[in-house]
Amino acid sequence: MKPSTAALIGLIALACDPVHDEAVAALPGEAPGVPRGPTHRPGQPCLLCHAGQFSVAGTVFVDANDLAPAVGADVKLTDSQSHTFDATTNEAGNFFVRTGEFSPVYPMKVAVAYGGVTVKMTADVGRDGACASCHFDPPGPASPGHVYVPPDGVTP
Amino acid sequence: MKPARALAVIALAACGIALACSTPAPDARFVETVPDRSTFPAVADLLVHRCGTLDCHGSTARNMRLYGSIGLRLAPGDHPVSKGQTTAAEYDEDFASVVGLEPEVMSAVVASGGASPDRLTLIRKARGTEHHKGGALWSEGDPQDLCITSWLSGHTDEAGCVSATRSSF
Repeated sequence: MKPSTAALIGLIALACDPVHDEAVAALPGEAPGVPRGPTHRPGQPCLLCHAGQFSVAGTVFVDANDLAPAVGADVKLTDSQSHTFDATTNEAGNFFVRTGEFSPVYPMKVAVAYGGVTVKMTADVGRDGACASCHFDPPGPASPGHVYVPPDGVTP
Repeated sequence: MKPARALAVIALAACGIALACSTPAPDARFVETVPDRSTFPAVADLLVHRCGTLDCHGSTARNMRLYGSIGLRLAPGDHPVSKGQTTAAEYDEDFASVVGLEPEVMSAVVASGGASPDRLTLIRKARGTEHHKGGALWSEGDPQDLCITSWLSGHTDEAGCVSATRSSF
């Protein structure tokens, strides 16, 4: 088989990933009035669509029971090679790290500072840079719920 | 073809078909020789910490599923990283996950006192000597590696496991 043929088959296979397509289709979708861009789809697993573009991305909310965005929260990332990167959430609570800026060598530690309070994530991130892959609502055996910084710095 | 030769060919074919269609006896069972369950929690704590995050083996979609207080929870009312310890039932599930990966190989390793533990995929993947999506977690002889191999040898270094868990990233 010629290399060009193999490459073409590979591209077709990637473009026709039904698992990925179903996962994207299962997302809530765009909110009315919010244009596609840095503020869209808060709380959704960013890397599902932005893999390759972003290495780490997510959303920080103000409270366990409140989906208001934590604007200006500082997200500090530290990978297993002690490389660090600081990201700041925008008006939607979203933050994203472009792969060219920082591509962590997993595992990675995460700390979020907001309102004068800093919370360190108890577990490390093993391999998935999309916060919402694990942090989704409602909280349950497989998810601690959305990302937030409690005012007293203590998570339940 | 002479009748005798034809008969021999038919007999041989019949034997071949009979062998090809043979199945194990319905009551045949493989009894696995497993490592010590009582000292496993020290090993499990390391595995949960290093392998059992929600995006790795703490995912219900992945093999060698691991439950633990900082990852996937077994009880419907429990949440990850909530206060509390890994439960006995979760340790049971983790034990079943690990010893159930390769029962025959696990039996052979345990029966030989933990000799050549790299016969186990578990060991090779963690060391990175076999492709592992999560990469190489540690090298042979590292405290984390020694924790698991000591368990396989029947002499679990529980204190070493605790230390290895704390010193792991």
